[in-house]
Amino acid sequence: MKEKISKMLSLLTATALAVGTLTLSACGRDPVVEDSNSSAASDTASSTSKDDTFTYAIAGDPGETVNVITTSDRYGLSTIKMIYSPLYMNNADGINWFLATDYSVSDDNLTYTFNLRDDVTWSDGEPFTADDVVFTYEEMEKEENVGWAYSQLVYNEGTVKVTKVDDYTVSFTFPFQTPTAVEMLSQIFIMPEHIYKDVTDYEHNDYNMNSVGTGPYKLVDYQAGSYLRFEANESYFKGTPSIKNIVFRIIENSDTAILALQSGEIDAYSATPSEVEKLDMDQNNLTAYTYTEGRVGYMMINCNRVPDQKVRQAIFYALDKKAMNDAAFLSDEYYLTPNTFLPTNSQFYDDSNVEKYDRDLEKSKQLLSEAGVTDLKLKLGYAGTDDAQSTQALLIQEQLGEAGIEVELASSDATALSAQMQDPENSYDMYLGGYIMGIDPDTFSSLFESGAGYNYMYYDDQKINDLFAQGRAETDEAARKEIYSELQKEIQDLAAFYPIVSNDKILVVNNRIQGIEEAGLVPVYTFEDTYYLKMAE
Amino acid sequence: MAKYIVKRILSAIPLLLIITIICFFLINLAPYDAIDSMTTPKMSEELVQMIREKYGYDQPVYIQYIRWLGGLLNGNFGYSIVNGTNIFDDLVSRIPNTIVLVLPAYLAAYIISIVLGLLAGSHKNKRLDKIIDGYASLGIAMPTFWVAMLLIYIFGYKLGLLPILGMHTVGVDTTADFLRHFILPFVVLTLSFIPDNLRYVRSSTITQYSEDYVMVQRAFGASKGEIMFKHVCKNVLLPVITKLGMALPTLVTGAVITETVFSWPGVGPYFIKAIQGMDYPIIMVVLVLSSTLVILGNLLSDILYCITDPRIRKMR
Repeated sequence: MKEKISKMLSLLTATALAVGTLTLSACGRDPVVEDSNSSAASDTASSTSKDDTFTYAIAGDPGETVNVITTSDRYGLSTIKMIYSPLYMNNADGINWFLATDYSVSDDNLTYTFNLRDDVTWSDGEPFTADDVVFTYEEMEKEENVGWAYSQLVYNEGTVKVTKVDDYTVSFTFPFQTPTAVEMLSQIFIMPEHIYKDVTDYEHNDYNMNSVGTGPYKLVDYQAGSYLRFEANESYFKGTPSIKNIVFRIIENSDTAILALQSGEIDAYSATPSEVEKLDMDQNNLTAYTYTEGRVGYMMINCNRVPDQKVRQAIFYALDKKAMNDAAFLSDEYYLTPNTFLPTNSQFYDDSNVEKYDRDLEKSKQLLSEAGVTDLKLKLGYAGTDDAQSTQALLIQEQLGEAGIEVELASSDATALSAQMQDPENSYDMYLGGYIMGIDPDTFSSLFESGAGYNYMYYDDQKINDLFAQGRAETDEAARKEIYSELQKEIQDLAAFYPIVSNDKILVVNNRIQGIEEAGLVPVYTFEDTYYLKMAE
Repeated sequence: MAKYIVKRILSAIPLLLIITIICFFLINLAPYDAIDSMTTPKMSEELVQMIREKYGYDQPVYIQYIRWLGGLLNGNFGYSIVNGTNIFDDLVSRIPNTIVLVLPAYLAAYIISIVLGLLAGSHKNKRLDKIIDGYASLGIAMPTFWVAMLLIYIFGYKLGLLPILGMHTVGVDTTADFLRHFILPFVVLTLSFIPDNLRYVRSSTITQYSEDYVMVQRAFGASKGEIMFKHVCKNVLLPVITKLGMALPTLVTGAVITETVFSWPGVGPYFIKAIQGMDYPIIMVVLVLSSTLVILGNLLSDILYCITDPRIRKMR
């Protein structure tokens, strides 16, 4: 699921940037906004019952198929987050409890037992019990349902067994010991058994759009391609949310969204750094909130074409990621610089012992001559519609040029590029990309293990595989940390993966809306709990 | 004439079939695997294979094509691979929105362009002609998204007179509210439709004025109005009628960019999103739909021409 999101993400940004181009740059900077005009704008706005409505612009239509089992796209999941609750959310800041209150682990480290809240009712008045939890997880484990979390619950060794202990206690038994259990069980939203019990096709049925949930809001109106309107769920277990209506307005065009944000037609929008630079925050009564999605933007070297480690290191020593990031993301408020394959906010992130490849042209040239390579020519693949990647590509070309390495820029469509990367015999020497994976470092194994399905570097390194295997089997937290530190060092030394940036998401919100920090900004879902949002006094 | 029309209709059928074949196989040649958008790195090979089978992607291409064509004929357009929605239902809910926007805009542009074209053509090289022709050149050069952003900026933001998003205010479903949302995209579309037809009418008016029959009429002392409305007009408008038929595909894909800029819930944003997400069942359906309309539009033009022009009728 996470890879899909990352693909979608890059596509989304790509489109936003592509459609955006230069059209409104002049307008955004225009300082002449007279008072009379802005009051006229708020007049028209107030004709819609704005006082109790929070309007959030989303760039895609989640569609009528939204359900907790198969939905895995960004806007679908944001919608799910409004209507349903999971047992808990596991994000970078740790566990946040929703339908469950705490958990305990059995002595053999196989069984995880969760206590559930006993004061939760579905929005149709039925009580929420352990039966709903068992039902949801079991449906997720059915192969034919093609649930997004299937592979987190069903392994070659067996299936995670879900047992109802009593009405408010559920236990999960893993077929083997794993330190990632808490991550694997997280973010799964619970659906009502009494509604969905006879459903066989989760995408197409009568209930998705007439949903019964335990989330802070209820979906009351869906207009295809236009908007989704939610109303506060009075039976939400934390209480009735203070904002009565939340509207997800579907706006594909980023320029339109920016203007709508300025005119007050929408209250929140996820912006890029260059869009934020153009907005006059004070004038338009806006605030920018930045948060990390744990995304890592990278350059990968195709080891099938550049097999010599020294050459790869020479390439890395010629690069300067700070210059790339400043050019692509304008200011270091909007990005962090990772030095390993993990995002900087991961608790396993450790760059204390790794080779960071600080720019050193002399060393680069020396390594090249040691390797006996002259006139090195490399082909760099990247998504041409992605502004950040285009900027990075240009700078890579320039920086490597200074080291005497010639770079051919091969701009491509993001999806086409990733399809080509899957072919080990592809003609690219290097590619740019980005991923958002899970909190647990084991979720990265599909990208870095030799021979793994998404390892586009095509190296063959037994040590990396061994370390991933050790990390997966080790349950002691401190020992795991050590393994992953070693792993980060190993991958850096291999010099096939060059982490460039961990860029932030920026949510621009009208000051009418408060409580953004309490609501919690999280990857994908945007708000961890919209219950905490409130109108400014 | 009936025979001619039947003949034209029959010849359109193989053409339609060829269009579907081209669309299907071109998309199949694209360097994407539809399965990629449904699977994730953590899925096992077996699961991927199962999804492949569920959607029939394990079959040879020609079988996939036959199944797909059969579906199209039965109104089963398949499902979006990105969020699994029924494409037929999606289109049914969006096409009316597009038509509601495009049809009035096209008709308005049609009438305005004929009037302006005749005016310009009959005043060749005078100031009026220069102004109108200048506008047409300018209009062709201005991209719609730019005009749209300009209008949004002025009327939606600076003056705050009109809403800029969508078709309705959330939760409000009145005609007045609809009209307020309608004005800006309508104006943008009308402006973008005018120049093309205008230039066509203008040049054909100029050609007609240089014909011998006009000189004869002048020699007979016919008034300017008489020449214009009794003679030139008829000859100019005949080919213009055929343009009406050819505008049929505009009803579906004529406002893709404008709709996207205004977040109008029509086919445009839906199609653009599908292209960006490589949601290829949707792309294929929209391609087939619009190319079908091109063929039908041409058919319609031929028939209209046949009805209105006695010379063509006699040729058959």
